[in-house]
Amino acid sequence: MIWQQLQSLAGSYPLALRGLGMTVMLSAISLVLGTLLGFGLGILRTGGNRLISAVIGAWVDLIRGTPFLVQIFLIFFILPEFGIELDAFTAGIIALTNLAACFICEIVAAGIRSVPTGQVEAALASGLSRWQRMRQVVLPQAMRIVLPPLVGQYVLLIKDSSVVSAIGLTDLTRVGWLVVQRVPNGLLVFFLVGVGYFIVCYPLIMLARRLERRMGAAHGEVQL
Amino acid sequence: MLENFSFRTIIEYLPLFGQGLITTVWLSALSFAGALAVGIVLAAMNLQRGRLFRIAAKAYIDAVRATPLLAQLYFLYFGLPRLGLVLPELVVGIIALSLNSGAYVAEIIRAGILSIPRGQVEAGVASGMTYVQRMRLVILPQAFKVTIPPLLGQAIVLVKDSALLSLISVSELTRAGQLLASDRFMPAEGFITIAAFYLLLYYGLKGLAALSSRWLGLQPARSST
Amino acid sequence: MTNATKTGMIDFRGVNKWFGSLNVLKDITLSVEPREVVVVCGPSGSGKSTLIRCINGLEAIKDGDLVVDGQRLGDPATNMTQLRTEIGFVFQSFNLYPHKTALENVTLAPIHVRKIPRAEAEQAGRDLLAKVGLADKINAYPSQLSGGQQQRVAIARCLGMRPKIMLFDEPTSALDPEMISEVLDVMVAVAEEGMTMMVVTHEMGFARKVAQRVVFMDAGAIVESGTPEEFFSAPKTDRSRAFLSKILRH
Ligand SMILES: Nc1ncnc2c1ncn2[C@@H]1O[C@H](COP(=O)(O)OP(=O)(O)OP(=O)(O)O)[C@@H](O)[C@H]1O
Ligand SMILES: [Mg+2]
Repeated sequence: MIWQQLQSLAGSYPLALRGLGMTVMLSAISLVLGTLLGFGLGILRTGGNRLISAVIGAWVDLIRGTPFLVQIFLIFFILPEFGIELDAFTAGIIALTNLAACFICEIVAAGIRSVPTGQVEAALASGLSRWQRMRQVVLPQAMRIVLPPLVGQYVLLIKDSSVVSAIGLTDLTRVGWLVVQRVPNGLLVFFLVGVGYFIVCYPLIMLARRLERRMGAAHGEVQL
Repeated sequence: MLENFSFRTIIEYLPLFGQGLITTVWLSALSFAGALAVGIVLAAMNLQRGRLFRIAAKAYIDAVRATPLLAQLYFLYFGLPRLGLVLPELVVGIIALSLNSGAYVAEIIRAGILSIPRGQVEAGVASGMTYVQRMRLVILPQAFKVTIPPLLGQAIVLVKDSALLSLISVSELTRAGQLLASDRFMPAEGFITIAAFYLLLYYGLKGLAALSSRWLGLQPARSST
Repeated sequence: MTNATKTGMIDFRGVNKWFGSLNVLKDITLSVEPREVVVVCGPSGSGKSTLIRCINGLEAIKDGDLVVDGQRLGDPATNMTQLRTEIGFVFQSFNLYPHKTALENVTLAPIHVRKIPRAEAEQAGRDLLAKVGLADKINAYPSQLSGGQQQRVAIARCLGMRPKIMLFDEPTSALDPEMISEVLDVMVAVAEEGMTMMVVTHEMGFARKVAQRVVFMDAGAIVESGTPEEFFSAPKTDRSRAFLSKILRH
């Protein structure tokens, strides 16, 4: 019987590949968009405008305070009521990008705040513009603090992408769910699904750990 | 637009939401207790001299951290019956949340123990304490303190994660929202209402985390939510 | 700069500043001529740092007028970023960029603010580092330099912008005693080239050597001001006498 199941599983391998592809694509797109948006928001959050900072902080809290599943449902089912028609893929990208951006915003803001004020003053005193100060002086130093949790955040993002299977996207988790209807061996099927995620996530976890250890290294000698 | 947003329906369904909220709270509490148990066992394994224990604990923690909770949930939901364990969905959900959060709790405990300066251990050794005495009298009381805020952070994560149990039809808070959405075709009413309830829990726990770090005289918590 | 009233390079006229309810600068009036070197001293908390930080806008003033190089601070017509390029500022804690080498620290602003071509800026940077005695440390990171070396890089970093004014906030007080003179020597050389300088320091040897004027502050006010000779040999107030007896004993 197990033999039959294995055969049947082997037959599902194109589907599994498609699922893995969907997971990787969803994660990659929202990772890039979320990082860009998150850095932008993080810079604005620490930019000195109280109102903007408070608005961003409130939004981040809303997102951090609610389950991702609920956010997906809200986007997928409610945006259409505002006349914005979405397919599941777009809804998934929006939800994941927003989630990533909010977490990355806080990571970046913490990194920026960790840069000593003397650094900003030195940059100010030599006449660097706002953007030059950020780009040349603050961000490169903030990156030391930002990078380890940022990579950790990417792992969370990939894992959270599994939740979009709830609105019917055929990602890796959804493929497991479909296959298990035909091959009634949940242990085996979801073990294999787990392996798929593990292959993608584990190297990133290792990277995050290494970065964290390296952060202790002497200032300046580490070129990121 | 949301011009027909129906507060009346929300009020009509309020008992359902209330029940869902209560279920979410107690199943999260139970799972958190389970996670503490799992986490303590894993942390203890991590501290053993025997390599086998350490490797097993590390492998478990890595496996949990590198795979999504939803896949873990399905693994148990579809897998346990194969082992002859046919359990109610709610129980499967609590087990999944405990096993998942347990791995993170173990890491929090480990970080707490590692945060104790070596001098403390040496002082314990110098005064002739055994390993167990050192742990019980010197290390753990101090480590306990620094783990409280991140543990509350993990509790926040757990409450949010519990929403996934709706996908194996556990009648918790998110399920209540789904019911309103599908019975009455009112997704806005359903999901906005439960989002509000989750925020209530979130701000409650967040406030608790802030208070606890004040009481314990720690820096404000960088919660790991 | 046509609206510049005839006066000094730096002109305080009745300047006041508060931190909350604390009046840290009280009715400051002070004019620094081009090429003049003014040393500011006074007890801790008397407002010396605040005074010179106002000049390049690191602190905003509450009332009174502060005119620097003919431009009035706080005036909408004054381009603060532009003005700052004319003013070098040396910090007590160096504030070198830890992620950049000595040379990169020196060339950053010339390349990005002055828009000088990289090769040219780097040549100028090398020359400046050689001038402060660090020709062999061009590619070192700040963490690989001693305090005295870092402070000399910081001075070179200011000089790289070819400023009209240089401000120093206790540039040697974070240094080990044996490194103080290497930094002071560089400062003397800069002064002798005719730079307009305001230096917060308790190094009286430096003051005697290059300062035209010593300004003594206490509790946010300028209490006394005169040539180094006058100030050191015949302090006029009790407070300056008390202050001098304290620092000279060390
Ligand atoms: N950012 C600030 N907020 C509030 N008060 C401040 C601030 N910066 C300085 N002060 C206060 O203003 C007063 C003057 O400070 P300032 O740093 O100018 O003194 P100083 O003469 O440079 O002292 P020191 O010799 O210790 O450097 C002090 O009482 C200080 O506590
Ligand atoms: Mg000072």
